[in-house]
Formats: sequence, C-alpha cells, structure tokens
Amino acid sequence: MRSQSIGWLLLAPTLIILVIFGLVPFFYVLVVGFTEWNAFAANPGAHFYGVENYRHLVFDEQLLYSLWITLRFAFFAVLSEIILGYFLAQLMMKDFPLKGFFRTIHTLPLMVAPIAVGATWRLLTVPGLGPVPYYLDRWFGIDYRLGSFADQAFWTTVLMDVWHWTPLVTLTLLAALSSLPKEPFEQAQIDGANRFQIFRHVTLPMLKPAILATVFIRMMDALRTVDEVWMLTGGGPAAATRYIGLYIWRVVFPKTDYGYGSAMSLLALYLTIVMCWLLYVALVARRDLPKGD
Amino acid sequence: MAEQPKQSGVKKTGFLPIHTNAFDRVFIGTIVFVAVHLFWMRFLEVHLPLFLATILSVVIGWIIVARG
Repeated sequence: MRSQSIGWLLLAPTLIILVIFGLVPFFYVLVVGFTEWNAFAANPGAHFYGVENYRHLVFDEQLLYSLWITLRFAFFAVLSEIILGYFLAQLMMKDFPLKGFFRTIHTLPLMVAPIAVGATWRLLTVPGLGPVPYYLDRWFGIDYRLGSFADQAFWTTVLMDVWHWTPLVTLTLLAALSSLPKEPFEQAQIDGANRFQIFRHVTLPMLKPAILATVFIRMMDALRTVDEVWMLTGGGPAAATRYIGLYIWRVVFPKTDYGYGSAMSLLALYLTIVMCWLLYVALVARRDLPKGD
Repeated sequence: MAEQPKQSGVKKTGFLPIHTNAFDRVFIGTIVFVAVHLFWMRFLEVHLPLFLATILSVVIGWIIVARG
C-alpha cells in the first residue's frame, strides 16, 4: 500500500504537467470547436454553434485540398527519409575515413530551428539571388521558379523536409542496428541466405519496432509542418503548398475565426491518430501476424 | 516474493482483426462515431437527418465494445 502511494507521488509531477499542458488545451479546443467565435464578427464573443463548424469543414474545398496535399507531402517526405535514413545508418555501421566528421556534419541540420531552415532554403532557391535557380538554368537548362510552378514548390518543400529530418531517422536506426545481436545474421549466412534475404527475413523484422516508432514520429511531424514551409513558399504559389497547418494558421490568426480553426485542428488531430493507429494495426497488432515479429 | 505487475486490461478476441481490451474498443468506437458523422454530413444529410447518424454510430459503437 505504501509503495503504491510512493509510486503515485513520483508520478504526480508528470501527471500534473500532462493534465495542464495536454488535457486542458485539448478539451478547451474541443469546446471552442462547437462555438462560433470570430473577433471580427458583429457579435465577437463565443456562443454555442452546434456542429455547424464541422458541417462547414466537410464542404470546405480549400480545406480538403490542403488535407490532400498534406497527405501527399507526408507520404513522400517520410518514405524518402526512412529509405535514405536506413541506407545512411547502414553506411555508418561500417568504418571509413573521416566517419566521425561525416556523422557530425550529417547531424547538423537537426540542430537548426525549422524557421531558420526555411529561411536558408529560401535564400538558396529564390530566383535572381539564390544559387540553385542559377545553376539549374546554367547546367541543365531548367527554369526553376519557386513562386510560379506548383510542382517545383511542392517537391522543394519535400526535399527541404528530407534534408532536415533524415538525420533523425539515421540516428534512430543506427542505434537500433547497433543493438541487434550478431547470431541471427551469422546463422543466416551459414544457411546460405543472400544479402536481400538477410535484409528481408532477419534485419527488417528485428528493426520493425524502431522503424515504426520513427515513422510515427516523422508522420506526426510532417502532418503538422508549418514554419519551414511558411518561410520558404508562404503556402504558394496559389495553394500549392498550403498544408493543413498553414491553412489552420490563416483561419485562426489573420481571420480570427477561432471556432472554425479549432474544428479544423481537431480534424487534423483525428486524421493523424487514425492514420497512426491504422499503420500500427497493419504492421504490428494484426492477429494473423506471426508472434515475435 | 516480487510483486507481479497487474495487467492493464483483459485481452479479448472478437470480430476485429486485433486483440483488444476495453479501452481499445471504446477508442475504436469513438473513431467510428466521428467518421460516421463526418461522412453523414458530407453525403447523406441532404436526405436524412443527422440524429440517424448518431443512432447508427451508437449501435456500431455498442457492437464494437461488446463483440469487437
């Protein structure tokens, strides 16, 4: 009984912080999502609005488009980061000259604030000033204008995210690879498995928890990306890179539509939870999967 | 003798493709509740009122919690 009290006492600081910074804001947003509250309206106070905000958002074509491009962005960015991060982690498992220096340089983007990453990429890619458009035009004849071509803007934001966050994936998978036991690999080699078979049947199953945790973290981050993209493209050209976070920001701050913004935030949270849960079920929790995978 | 940690809930095998405890099934029921309402508002509310979606999703939620 006494040990149970001590347990709760030790947990108390975490629980208090969780309630104050996690649950209270969540329930506040939940309540605001059911109100009409716009500082610019004739009646600027919050008043109950039922499900009207949610009724509005399922027909909001701009929001649905933002959701679609956010999902595209998250898919391509996270997939590229996982593949690239895995190969870089495998590379760093081997010895080569200047390995420590390369590892430090490779990890540097992680230490840069997202807003500074966006500013750096902006300076690199702005036409007439940045070196990227100049050399793409000079060497390959590519007309690279971030403010004019939607595809270029989209893929540049993906590339920027990959540049920024691949080191996190590399470090996570490097830690996981370093902790793997050697015996299963030796046994597979003795049994005559080739490199792909070892990867498919030994490495991948053992790395699955680390890969899944990394995918979850990166997917949640990618779905709520705002500041980097805001700095690089401002959501443009037109709505080409106006991801869901940027759209919510526009509704909540410049338009001061707090009720609708809260409803959209909850929808984004809902979709993030559903996607992570479906991924978890598909890869880990299914009953028909063999035990130990 | 070392104290054994208590299990967080009784794992159950129902029609869902995963082993679930009570919390999992309530969570899935809530997810379905929201999805049904959003779908209804987008596609069906012109013909059928929203309270039917509430009734439907409560029934689905009950089935998931009881037999999922």
